[in-house]
Amino acid sequence: MQPDPDLEHLMAAYQKGDTAAAAALIERVSPQLHRFFLWQMTSRKDADDLLQDTWMRIHQARHTHRPGEPVLPWLYAIARHVRVDHYRKTRRRASREQQLSALPEAPSPAGGRPGSGPDVEALLAELPESQREVISMLKVAGMSLEEVARATRSSVGSVKQKAHRAYEKLRTRLRDDARV
Amino acid sequence: MTPGSDKLDRILDGAGAPDPVPPALQERIAAAILPGLRPVRPIPSAGAMVLGLELLVGAVGIAAAFLFGMYGIAKMSGAQSAAILAAIAFFGAVAANQTVASMIPGTRQIVRPGALIFQICLVLIGIFALSFTGYATDDFVRQGVPCLRAGLLVAVPAGAGAWLILHRGYAVDPVSAGLAAGTLAGMAGVLMLELHCPILRAVHVMVWHVAVVPLSALAGALLAKCFTSRG
Repeated sequence: MQPDPDLEHLMAAYQKGDTAAAAALIERVSPQLHRFFLWQMTSRKDADDLLQDTWMRIHQARHTHRPGEPVLPWLYAIARHVRVDHYRKTRRRASREQQLSALPEAPSPAGGRPGSGPDVEALLAELPESQREVISMLKVAGMSLEEVARATRSSVGSVKQKAHRAYEKLRTRLRDDARV
Repeated sequence: MTPGSDKLDRILDGAGAPDPVPPALQERIAAAILPGLRPVRPIPSAGAMVLGLELLVGAVGIAAAFLFGMYGIAKMSGAQSAAILAAIAFFGAVAANQTVASMIPGTRQIVRPGALIFQICLVLIGIFALSFTGYATDDFVRQGVPCLRAGLLVAVPAGAGAWLILHRGYAVDPVSAGLAAGTLAGMAGVLMLELHCPILRAVHVMVWHVAVVPLSALAGALLAKCFTSRG
């Protein structure tokens, strides 16, 4: 695992109360986190809310990052849990309102995502949530298997297996599309 | 590399450059965080906290056993004591590691909390089955309930002490953290029972002593759930 020294430097400065470093960290990491939420099949509005909520929790928990530890698994562990919380709350609300068809898995991810590529969301929609999460951490955040394992609180073997299964499914889907 | 692989890599790699976040959103986030930003002191290292938790569990278990009387250890042979105390020390260290990992986001997890409880019960039951004899169930409940109660009672100060050590942490999954902390606290209860309880009948220790761990873990998880749903 190769930790990003810039991110670590920014995080350390953020902990010391450096406003410029905090602003730089927000600017640097927010697009990745935003894309992470979008790839989890949330609407753009929900992704905006989740990003804001994630930063509030990052701010609240910033003292729990240890200098020298990689920053991305720490950030993504928090982001991931914000998404899980949001999913649970939405599901509870939906079941209360008896609108089961409107669960977060359902919204179409495609609408209104300029620059995100025409095929990506449609492809990822085929994957189970846990595989989609692993693929987005590996591909959007550029995290290593070890970092993804830390962020998802699982083993490297489990991350490898999920990534392998996801790639197999996506390749099969692409091959099937090419035949049609 | 198949044609499907090439295309897939192109699609995923092309998607790696994230969209810009709406400037208004970014400004909102900055406005919520930057004004009044204060320096914070990072939490102690994971190693220091694990060591602190191990010492706490050992101290609480031994102190409680001194208080109640060290009758159990006096009746056991050297081999029995060594096997049981080594298992408790080992799983105490794993549970301490697990508890610390659950309070620091992005920390490597050795084993899932549920799996750890299962492993602890399985190994302790195995060691007790090999170390002790006697499967008669006379007075099984009458003798067992006080042991279970005492074990859980000792888990309470251990759990409270663990909270003091870890209160600056941040649990991304509070229920898992509660489960891990409850397991750790339960190890203090088991330690006390092994040092104190003079009933060395296999069935007694396999049921009533071991039961302290899952029940304490369950209590930890329920407490965490209560606090989370309130907060």
